Amino acid sequence: MIEFLGEVVAWFLDPAHWTGANGIPNRVWEHVQITVAATSVAALLAILPAIVLGHRKQGGTLVVGAVNLFRAVPSFGIVVLALPITIGLGLGIGFWPTFLALLFLAIPPMFINSYTGVAGVDPDLIEAARGVGMTDAQCLLGVEVPAASPIIIAAVRVAAVQVVATATLGAIVGWGGLGRYIIDGFAIQDDVMVFAGALLVAGLALVTEGLMSAVERWLVPKGLQTAGNEVARIAV
Amino acid sequence: MILAFFSWEWVFDHLDDIWDRTMEHLLLTVIAVFFGFLISFGLSITVLRNRRLFAPITAFTGVLYTIPSLALFALLVPITGLSVLTAEIGLISYTLLILVRNTVAGIDGVPMPVLEAAAGMGYTRRQLLWRVQLPLALPVIIAGVRIAAVTTIGLVTVTALIGQGGLGFFILRGLSLLFSPVGTTQIVVGVVLSVVLALVVDLALVGTQRALTPWAKAKEAV
Amino acid sequence: MLRNRAIVILAVAVALVAAACSSDDGTIEGPTIKVGSANFSESALVAEIYAQALETEGYSVDRKLNIGSREIYKPALESGELDLIPEYIGTMLTNLGGVATSDSTSTHAALQAAWEPMGISVLDFAPAQDKNGIVVTKATANEFGLITTSDLAALNGTLVFGGPPECPSREFCLIGLTDLYGLDFTEFKPLDVGGPITVAALESGEIHVALLFTSSGVILAKDFVLLDDDLGLQPAENLAPAVRTEILDAYGDRFEDVLRAVSVALTTEELIALNKAVEVDGEDPDKVAATWLEGL
Repeated sequence: MIEFLGEVVAWFLDPAHWTGANGIPNRVWEHVQITVAATSVAALLAILPAIVLGHRKQGGTLVVGAVNLFRAVPSFGIVVLALPITIGLGLGIGFWPTFLALLFLAIPPMFINSYTGVAGVDPDLIEAARGVGMTDAQCLLGVEVPAASPIIIAAVRVAAVQVVATATLGAIVGWGGLGRYIIDGFAIQDDVMVFAGALLVAGLALVTEGLMSAVERWLVPKGLQTAGNEVARIAV
Repeated sequence: MILAFFSWEWVFDHLDDIWDRTMEHLLLTVIAVFFGFLISFGLSITVLRNRRLFAPITAFTGVLYTIPSLALFALLVPITGLSVLTAEIGLISYTLLILVRNTVAGIDGVPMPVLEAAAGMGYTRRQLLWRVQLPLALPVIIAGVRIAAVTTIGLVTVTALIGQGGLGFFILRGLSLLFSPVGTTQIVVGVVLSVVLALVVDLALVGTQRALTPWAKAKEAV
Repeated sequence: MLRNRAIVILAVAVALVAAACSSDDGTIEGPTIKVGSANFSESALVAEIYAQALETEGYSVDRKLNIGSREIYKPALESGELDLIPEYIGTMLTNLGGVATSDSTSTHAALQAAWEPMGISVLDFAPAQDKNGIVVTKATANEFGLITTSDLAALNGTLVFGGPPECPSREFCLIGLTDLYGLDFTEFKPLDVGGPITVAALESGEIHVALLFTSSGVILAKDFVLLDDDLGLQPAENLAPAVRTEILDAYGDRFEDVLRAVSVALTTEELIALNKAVEVDGEDPDKVAATWLEGL
């Protein structure tokens, strides 16, 4: 065990592993790129419609049920299924099928949380906002969304971490990223490489979690406090 | 190429194989969730007896969860081989976080007055757990089991890479036959049936919960 | 009340699990034969042929296809998780530390001797050979006048090479290309094992040079150019069934005869035709295997 860990440390200290296309910096960068891309696009595709639907309290069970179906789709299957599609569309192998699969992964939690978050906002808050003369849009953006922001941003955080872990599957369809160390190491039964890859992914996941928590703390209290204070002042 | 995507002929020729692999998939899932539940139940009771253990246990199961499944299976292969055991160790590990969290939350969620009333009636600690806390916590616990089951069904596909696989077998086979309808059909079958299996299992669990605790509505997971 | 319901549900679950545990029944008494393959379509196809040939005889067979590279399935074969797998004599002999030559008979004999101590018997080899092939598109070949693998040396430092993830650690892959041919690629892209992903990458120009297999049906179909192995890097790579000696002892000559009949009939031309049917014409490999066996 100690010997193995020693080999892992040696792997990290080897300068050859820090240069070139298969070096740690490049693979980490590729991984970060796809995580940011997939999470942001998923957020756009999921949060905006979900907020509107939640505001109008339309769709409800049907929509949430349909999105729940997405949750049951195996990421491994989607990454492989996307391949003939992206090749056919001229987008090639590697990045695009992985990106598509990650969208499938990230959209459900963000959609469901945005919908239930906005739909579940305290009716008193909304009544108060209307009472003040806020339009539909103002109410949505000024009251409902900030009130729901904790759950929404929590979902983005959870989704981002899941994307980091699952992006490793991209190595199966010719992409790079940290999954390369896992897949290539497995192919030649080089456990040190696999372990190092796993450590890097776990590390990146923790960093992502930390960053997103900081974002949460930065964005949410302001919104909640402001909305709360305004309503309180107005109500009095 | 996209037009010549699906081959019903392949499906009808392979109904036997499809059934076998689906059953294999279900079996791997059931074993994982069953043992995952036993282990997490034990962990949960431990946590409830000693609160200080909650943070470390959650941290440990949480760390297991962040390890990419591929890596966990890959690292186990030299130790436990291309076996069902390797697949199960990995699959069970991923169920622990959600099951512990939900079991603890479920039992915690039993209202104090109920516990006090039962204690007042002379229930021992053990009777309290089995006759009062668990039945009342069941909806939340089963909500956790549902998510664990659906997650496991997705992960079982990955075990195709270590010689197991269930429906993942078709996905992997399809990967090497990408440009023919035979290949893409297999991938589609693998994905679609995984989803169907997940829905069926989810419904079965909801049904189980209703049967066991008819007084409670199905709860969302924590 | 609750306990009774729980018991009923548990009983139903156990019954379902028991139903799921049904196994294949053969008419011949004995251990089920676990047939495995590497993760590329030719290996899976030949394994399927072995499997069907055995099933027709009455053996009970379990398929574990697309397992992975040699490093993954070799320990599984030696430990009993797999019983039978199609192997390529040259690369396998090298893997065991032996020296492979272009002479099939001596390479095969050496392989048998090397693997026997680990409990694996290598049965009669087929005439069919499948070697690593260095392939470029017709356009690339024309542009640079490429006919042999040595011709690539003139383009050192400009080309991207793509192949299986294990290629950099393989003597007959990147190691041999670097040492024997003195080739220097700008990048090696790990893709798949001579499969559709590598083909797509070559077609789209993402890689300039690809590792495919000499018996692949794709090379002709896509009008690729297989560069000549002029320095003789690749050894004899005949297909031969590698089986656990334990299984051989359990079943005896009849078992060996079934596989011998398959090997004798499998020539390189037959193999290429089989591969073409699956990789290019998109036929169902299970059907292709069945049809071929019927024609024996």
